[in-house]
Amino acid sequence: MKKILVIGSGISGLMCAIRCAGRGIQTTLVSPYPSERAQSVMAAGGINAVLSFSDEGDTVESHIEDTLKGGAYLGGKNAVGGLCSRAPEIIRYLENIGTVFSLDPEGRPARRAFGGQSHKRTYYCGSSTGKQIVSALVMEARRFEAEGLIERRLGSFFHSALIEDGVCRGALLFDERSGELDTVNADALVMAVGGQNALFGKTTGSTLCDGYAAGRLFTQGVTLKNLEFIQYHPTTLETAQKRMLVTEAVRGEGGRLFYEENGKRVYFMEDKYGPRGNLMTRDVISREIDACGRDVYLDISFLDGRLIDERLPEVRDLCRKYRNIDIKKEPIPVAPSVHFFMGGLAVRLNHETNIENLFAVGECASMYHGANRLGGNSLLAAVYSGTVAADEIAGRESAPKTPDFGGFLRDEREKLKKQAESKSPLPVMMMRDALAKTMREHLGIVRNAESLERGISDIDGDLDAAARLRFDPSVSPYANYSLSGILTTARATLTCALARRESRGAHFRSDYPETSADFAYPTLISYDGGAYRVSYDREGSYEN
Amino acid sequence: MRIKILRRRDPESEPYWEAFDYDGPAESSVAGVLDWLNYHDDVVTADGRKTTRIGWECSCLQGMCGACAMVINGVPSLACETFVKDLGGPEITVEPLKKFPVVRDLITDRSSIQENLKRTDVYIGEYRPRSGEDHEHQYTAAKCLKCGLCLEVCPNYTSGKSFFGAAFANDCYLVAARNREKAGQIKAAYNEHFGKTCSKSLSCMDVCPMKIPTIASMAKLNKLK
Ligand SMILES: Cc1cc2nc3c(=O)[nH]c(=O)nc-3n(C[C@H](O)[C@H](O)[C@H](O)COP(=O)(O)OP(=O)(O)OC[C@H]3O[C@@H](n4cnc5c(N)ncnc54)[C@H](O)[C@@H]3O)c2cc1C
Ligand code: FES
Repeated sequence: MKKILVIGSGISGLMCAIRCAGRGIQTTLVSPYPSERAQSVMAAGGINAVLSFSDEGDTVESHIEDTLKGGAYLGGKNAVGGLCSRAPEIIRYLENIGTVFSLDPEGRPARRAFGGQSHKRTYYCGSSTGKQIVSALVMEARRFEAEGLIERRLGSFFHSALIEDGVCRGALLFDERSGELDTVNADALVMAVGGQNALFGKTTGSTLCDGYAAGRLFTQGVTLKNLEFIQYHPTTLETAQKRMLVTEAVRGEGGRLFYEENGKRVYFMEDKYGPRGNLMTRDVISREIDACGRDVYLDISFLDGRLIDERLPEVRDLCRKYRNIDIKKEPIPVAPSVHFFMGGLAVRLNHETNIENLFAVGECASMYHGANRLGGNSLLAAVYSGTVAADEIAGRESAPKTPDFGGFLRDEREKLKKQAESKSPLPVMMMRDALAKTMREHLGIVRNAESLERGISDIDGDLDAAARLRFDPSVSPYANYSLSGILTTARATLTCALARRESRGAHFRSDYPETSADFAYPTLISYDGGAYRVSYDREGSYEN
Repeated sequence: MRIKILRRRDPESEPYWEAFDYDGPAESSVAGVLDWLNYHDDVVTADGRKTTRIGWECSCLQGMCGACAMVINGVPSLACETFVKDLGGPEITVEPLKKFPVVRDLITDRSSIQENLKRTDVYIGEYRPRSGEDHEHQYTAAKCLKCGLCLEVCPNYTSGKSFFGAAFANDCYLVAARNREKAGQIKAAYNEHFGKTCSKSLSCMDVCPMKIPTIASMAKLNKLK
């Protein structure tokens, strides 16, 4: 192929663009803001791989097994096999392009233990693994920008894909500065737009990950997958605008979870699961905190102050800065928060969607993590998926002459113009807030049919209102036009959760608390003239 | 509390001040204040006039991405980690970064930072490990957010046409330290676009959210062969 378009410049988008450019393909890398603003820079913990100097007895096979098991066996063996086998090569690549890994005493990349894994295999860069990887990839992309093979297009947002007869030919983009929509033709379109945070308002991640593209593409005929699987992080600190992740390291250092009853502390995790109760997996702790139904705290104040300074400086600073809490003296109020989306655009092993030449990589694609993700596997998947998609693209022929999308462009421009002509002061953020409230209420950690149905009917009301209401035109046009797509993703997510009448991984149904063999398959959802159709991928046609 | 904001409709129009009354949570950050002001059916100025919503940029909301850089009470700062309670006084002024073209209100176009790095081929290419590297400083330099606060405060930086500022200097150090084969070329670009003009006021270090000691990058880069 000669010319491709990548939307999103976090780790997966950067990787895909670099790899394509390395194969001589002209690549346009689109994002509203530079890579330094992408959620990828927030990843702290690390990236998983089994290297020659990993733990004795650790093997690629056990990385594969841990990943499949962590995902409650919804991930595909071939897909996960590819991911884990290429992980060592990925770490070497990242090191080679200049990522500043932390080093062990022998001067090799250092690793730490992460939850849900049988061995210590999470390689890290201090407490800013994602940022360090982004810095290195940005430099590498710059090399190709200087050569003219990568063109950065900042200030642009995705609007729609250009699709005709089941083949993707590029995208419609909105340019913030000119205020215009334009078509960009390409031999392939790669979506790298991250997770669907905006569905829930406040999360641990970035406000730029909004779930719009998934909803829009869904109505354009792209199949989505496993949307009901959403990972909650059990210990986050609430602030007015977001929920900040309080790392597992606090519990690793002996931190104890408790609530107060009649003036006494109840260490509920230890009471139920024994002395190691505070170290249970993310989903178990999140459910237990949820079941408490009251304020929960994480106490580490008993640890020697010097050890806190040495081992938990980020947590100390975060709590002090944002909540004026001194963790050496007082417990940290914590609550679970949405943290990672296992679901997204359904892709086959080559990262292509059901639409020819339309690919998805990184967190916006659903692959590898099954019903739950292991910490450290998503950075790996972001790099790996970008590579896989690029290699597939490089091996393909360019499409013949592009059809004319002029009519489509005119229609969409007209719609946008109408939105801008509104005199309404109604802010779209109010609808986004209402959506987040609906999702938190009906698609929380514990779900049931009745509540999910109510959630769907609320969103239907919102979708209807979004089509009728006019919003404040002084807000960015993207914020206004993206609302319907975001609501669509939300409705599809609730629909998937309602259809899965079992509990598995991150999806827990109080009315179906057991895992059921009938549902041992990934969920697929597609849009059929307004209807949301759910099916299960029993044949493994996407992930196998 | 009074919040005075320097606003602008678009790059072509003239900037103007607008004042707002804030009586939201006292522990809020300036980012929280902007959200609070915007989150009303009508946005109303202190003198009771209806106005448009205030444009500003954010992503991480916890000081990790550099999106929300602006000038608060005259000091270049990240809005999401600048707190009302620490600013003191009954009035807070908020302005866009002045050294970059304004897109709208508090949103600026900082793409010149990346453009300048591209123009001068500041990329590592291939990392060549060496003994005795200052690994810790490389790690710190690679944390640069490209937020532009260091350029805003710098007395030598104007529009980034010839002098590129501290963000550039730190990236130059990182490249030269990670790939010595490029040290000669990078040092030439560094001298041309930073070294020969920097007057060492070092105000860049006071405002850097990542606390990057640019002076150390300068000294270390000069020593590299
Ligand atoms: C606090 C935190 C800590 C984490 N820690 C770890 C960890 O230790 N290990 C690990 O493996 N994973 C971790 N993760 C998860 C990991 O960071 C992400 O899964 C990964 O970085 C996603 O990368 P990405 O390239 O898919 O997307 P992102 O980095 O989110 O990038 C998305 C890009 O798409 C752009 N975009 C979005 N919408 C549009 C649109 N409509 N038009 C144009 N562009 C658009 C954005 O601007 C951005 O450039 C963590 C996540 C969080 C929030
Ligand atoms: S929003 Fe990321 S630094 Fe403020």
